[in-house]
Amino acid sequence: MKKIDLVIIGGGPAGLSAAKMAAESGLSSLIIERNFKIGGQLVKQTHMFFGSEKQYAKTRGIDIAKILVNDVLKYSDMIEIMTGTTVVGLYKDKVVTLLKDEKYIKVKTKAIIIATGASEKVLAFEKNDLPGIYGAGAVQTLMNVHGVLPGHNVVMVGSGNIGLIVSYQLIQAGVNVLCVLEASSEIGGYKVHASKLKRLGVDIKTSHSIKKAIGKDYLERIIIGKLDDKWEFIEGSEEELIVDALCISVGLSPLSNLLSMIGTEMKYVSYLGGLVPLIDENYETSIENVFVAGDVCGVEEASSAIVEGYLTGLVVAKKLGYIHPNYDKLYLDFKAQLHNLRSGPFGEKLRRGLEEIMR
Amino acid sequence: MNKKDVIICRCEDVTLEELHNLMKEGYTSFEEIKRILRVGMGSCQGNTCGQLIQRELANFTNTPINKVVTHKVRPLFAGVKLKSIVKALDDES
Amino acid sequence: MLNTNGVPDKKQIFSRFPDKKYILKPKAITECYEEIPCNPCSTSCPFDAIYIGEDINTAPIVDFEKCTGCGICVYNCPGLAIFIVQELDNENARFKIPYELIPLPIKGETWSGVNRAGEVITKVLIEKVSLTEKQDKTALIQVLVPIEFINDFITIRSKL
Repeated sequence: MKKIDLVIIGGGPAGLSAAKMAAESGLSSLIIERNFKIGGQLVKQTHMFFGSEKQYAKTRGIDIAKILVNDVLKYSDMIEIMTGTTVVGLYKDKVVTLLKDEKYIKVKTKAIIIATGASEKVLAFEKNDLPGIYGAGAVQTLMNVHGVLPGHNVVMVGSGNIGLIVSYQLIQAGVNVLCVLEASSEIGGYKVHASKLKRLGVDIKTSHSIKKAIGKDYLERIIIGKLDDKWEFIEGSEEELIVDALCISVGLSPLSNLLSMIGTEMKYVSYLGGLVPLIDENYETSIENVFVAGDVCGVEEASSAIVEGYLTGLVVAKKLGYIHPNYDKLYLDFKAQLHNLRSGPFGEKLRRGLEEIMR
Repeated sequence: MNKKDVIICRCEDVTLEELHNLMKEGYTSFEEIKRILRVGMGSCQGNTCGQLIQRELANFTNTPINKVVTHKVRPLFAGVKLKSIVKALDDES
Repeated sequence: MLNTNGVPDKKQIFSRFPDKKYILKPKAITECYEEIPCNPCSTSCPFDAIYIGEDINTAPIVDFEKCTGCGICVYNCPGLAIFIVQELDNENARFKIPYELIPLPIKGETWSGVNRAGEVITKVLIEKVSLTEKQDKTALIQVLVPIEFINDFITIRSKL
């Protein structure tokens, strides 16, 4: 059985930052990444990020990925990276089982940081499985990673930041975005993103949603409708639109399955996107030396995931006896950064959600 | 709404109609439904259908969504061939 | 309404424009009406003219005495929510706007001028297009806009 002090599950912003900070502290780690490349969802983010300089604000996500990947590669003697590898089992005695190219591998570790991120939520409507109906994140991957357009006439469902940003990127790619639908009576994401779309001529229809998709072998048309205050379709408000792609952007849910598997205490918190583990102030779960970082313990921006990664990497290293020379200063700084990122009105729901999972 | 055309679980091709029929028969826990319809047992392991079924159960049983118990997640999380497991055992000994 | 369709109202827009005496020289208008965690405009300003402070959720405040209208904040704003405006004379205003679409306009061309609701309102003259490495793919377009649209013009769309 392979033995390593720290296993980090997920090579996105949280996992990479955790590995870097652990290495800086003197602790070696193994990063396990399901994808064939590390960098997580940052590799498809062509827009500039918000936040402050410490979280690489104003840098495009794709370039933040490069920075984080390079940081990790600098410690190639301490950080082992396994890509194309899926964690298939997680056990209480801290054995992690992996599958890579049909090879089943067991790893025994002392500490685990779970940084699996989140997955896109879906919607239940008629013919919701027609080809041409995508998650907005999937469209971003298709376009910005693989260079493939999802369609020519697109409607976006959901006006959170992802829906607004992907709509803008669709336009940048030359796609016609007919409109953005928002079930709520107000736009969900930052208004600067909404204004950016509106000035390009894209209507954001609040209190509207997708009713059904129409098409034989692929998406040809959709029926949208207006919603009342109970989110029920108002009869007679239906409108038919000719589209060849539909993007669903109705939020993310934490990929917390591995935590359920290992049996950490969990709670469903809608403010955080779904089922999340209970954590202490250092992101340690109810099982000692099992930590979480990033969207898996509450969906928010990549900026926070980066800082949470740094924080858990720092703390885990200390627990295993590797104390960073600047531990106290860094610890306070990471805490302050997280506080700063979450202290505004947009962080309110998140703050309430995080309160619910503090143990 | 034509419930036959609403897909709840893409991996196992389960429709909203099948889900509702089962709930009407009295199966109102995720674990029971999973055993009959195979939801949550496909390649995505419930990542897609999980929240949809949770919402349907919440509505049907008139329970707040955060009180609806989701399914138990067990290893193995992806399909692993017996050959691979045996090979790993051989390598160890 | 900003919250329902992304269009700020007149009151909001005017709240970000300086007194007339300042606008005879180029000044930055920060159309960032929400308290979101973000501060690159402030940290990128070489003249310390945009204040956000320790709490990065604070909406930016421009010191129009210090602002030179250089345009650095325009391409550093992740929300593309800043532009530069100057009242040139009785006929024209000069804008510097961020632009991230292709094709880029070319100096001397006439393009449609668009308002915040996405409607074409006028014709504008492209005076300058800059896209240096430092701008990281956000072009800065200098345009001449008829003065009556000084509070309405926001971007350009398609060559005429």
